[in-house]
Amino acid sequence: MSATATPTPGAFLGSGRERQKQLVDEYYARLQTAGGPKNPVAYAFVGGNLTEILRAFGYEVVFPEIVALNCAIKHESLPNILNAEAMGYGLDICGYVKNDIGMHMNGGQTSFGRIPKADLLVCSFSGCYVYVKWWEALAEIHGAPMVTFDVPYMRTEKPYKEDIEYLVAQLREFIATLEKKTGRSFDMAELKRTLAHSRRAEEGWAKFLQRGLARPSPIEAYFEAVFYMFPINVLRGTPEAADFYELVNKEIDERIREGRYPVPEERFRLLLEGVPPYPHYRTFWDFFKKWGAVSAVATYPKVGGLFDLGFRHDPSRPLESIAEYSLGAYVNQSWQMRRKIIADYAKDYNVDAVVIHGIKSCRSFTAGQGDLREYVTKELGLPALYIESDHEDPRYFAAAQIKNRMDAFFESLEHRRKVAPMGRLP
Amino acid sequence: MAAPIVAGVDVGSTTAKCAILQDGRILGTSLSPVGVDIVRDAERSLDAALVEAHLTRKDLAFIAGTGYGRYKVRFGQLVITEISCHAKGAVFLFPKTRLVVDIGGQDTKAIRVNASGEVVDFAMNDKCAAGTGRFLDVCAGALGYDVSELGALSLAARKPMKVTSTCTVFAESEVQSYLARGKDPKDIIAGLHASIANRSLSLIQRVGIEEEVTFTGGVSRNEGMVQALNARLGTKVNVNPLSQHIGAIGAALFAAERAAAPDAGKVAA
Repeated sequence: MSATATPTPGAFLGSGRERQKQLVDEYYARLQTAGGPKNPVAYAFVGGNLTEILRAFGYEVVFPEIVALNCAIKHESLPNILNAEAMGYGLDICGYVKNDIGMHMNGGQTSFGRIPKADLLVCSFSGCYVYVKWWEALAEIHGAPMVTFDVPYMRTEKPYKEDIEYLVAQLREFIATLEKKTGRSFDMAELKRTLAHSRRAEEGWAKFLQRGLARPSPIEAYFEAVFYMFPINVLRGTPEAADFYELVNKEIDERIREGRYPVPEERFRLLLEGVPPYPHYRTFWDFFKKWGAVSAVATYPKVGGLFDLGFRHDPSRPLESIAEYSLGAYVNQSWQMRRKIIADYAKDYNVDAVVIHGIKSCRSFTAGQGDLREYVTKELGLPALYIESDHEDPRYFAAAQIKNRMDAFFESLEHRRKVAPMGRLP
Repeated sequence: MAAPIVAGVDVGSTTAKCAILQDGRILGTSLSPVGVDIVRDAERSLDAALVEAHLTRKDLAFIAGTGYGRYKVRFGQLVITEISCHAKGAVFLFPKTRLVVDIGGQDTKAIRVNASGEVVDFAMNDKCAAGTGRFLDVCAGALGYDVSELGALSLAARKPMKVTSTCTVFAESEVQSYLARGKDPKDIIAGLHASIANRSLSLIQRVGIEEEVTFTGGVSRNEGMVQALNARLGTKVNVNPLSQHIGAIGAALFAAERAAAPDAGKVAA
């Protein structure tokens, strides 16, 4: 029944976080001059994205989900959401969508720069019907063409041969479309070079995520990893992204040498599932940190791909491996697969409990998390906490209620362990 | 040497409760409303219980705060959630308790506990006061009664009405609609109780139904609600005249554990 008083949640972060901020700033600075025939902009979704192909055609890729979470974490999402609601978008519609539409109706302005209009909208993940409608709305607002990459849900651990063939056929059509739109010939050698950069970044990112296997964990596999999702999703296929993870992994080695850990004393090792409440990111992180709780493993950083489970883009099988990648994103897994991933993580990372954060906005990610909690408590025999707010709309974060549930959960974990250190709660 | 005297102060959304304990005996309790000055209300709650126990603050070895206003119990040395405290307090009063149903002013909780009064699992209502004490307050207002009258009235119901429990505002409209149709208020009230029992059941099922059940929180003082819960769960839930104080009693028990620890009392309040 005691929690440790600690400084700001991210105080243990070092050169990796600094470099990540730099990469983010450089990216948004590049976007200021992007757009138009010479420097075209493609919009894509994070899950199963086709960044490497777009990059090989000279596109700058914008991920509106990432722009939206940047708005949320900088407390800029609500005016955009209200703007969209004033247009008629209902309360139940995804906050990412409303942030994006509201922002574009306001000239694409953010505090981190203007977001250029799309020259091409690539609906690279079709598992969520809202995504398709979002892109249709943007197609109308921007007057841009839209292409859909239809990715079937994964029902089994290994993809069906027919799924791969179906996706490769779509990729060939996609390449032909891009050749027409850009007037450039497809350069397979360029794609292979891009994929080699991707592969190196994926190696480094996977290595980083697997550092959570150590006890105590030298990484925060949720709150810290979320920062480092930017290069693997936005800059994948560039040497900068690959170099970034080498830098981060060096920093983790330093942390271990210096004994600089996410929490001074790792009292609870957690598995975190679900999208973070970006508008209240620090507050939410603090609720964990004050209890000495660290996430050793998390599912959300894998929305762009399950690299820690072994997937790598393969320059020797370019289109096939892109197809496999698109199928393998975490959000594209059936619930049966998600449960298996979670059960394996819980065992491999030796966690004490599972915390699930559901979000009002996204039914495709969140629906099923109630059953997941049942599965974790009853089948895996692990304590699990389910809490809910939103990833974009600050109005859904009830701090007192969330803190109450979390405090009670950690108190119960302490009771279980018969640990009763003295001290005043935060 | 006499056992230390300890206090638990439970500052909820609607009322503040205090219990003063020594060696497992309850020396004094208090129950008072919570207003805008939570720090003052917490102090008043403690002082009223001290008066009943014929004690002063100097007699207290340790004080624990709980409830939503627990951080405002600034004179205490320990803060702990009401979920842990209700579990502890319920097992103290009814040692065979394995499930606690706590219906307070704005929260409903189902808490599964072990024999030591430790929380095994819990579920709560989420950002909605339907099915809580506030739900009954609003509906009592629509019926022209005080909430304390609802229990006795519902026991005389002959044909309970069906009331939805998804939204307090909509339930109030339903109550008004039944009144406009000339329905007996007693039947409407019994319907309200049944609707809360139904809603509670869905929470209870999330943590798993267990024998035996202890009903806590302000709503447990409502006999009609006790009967509705008994009917829905098919069991006889434990209630006690001090059921509303179970959180405060649990907090006092935690305070007693701390007071007995070697470095107790050295933590500045």
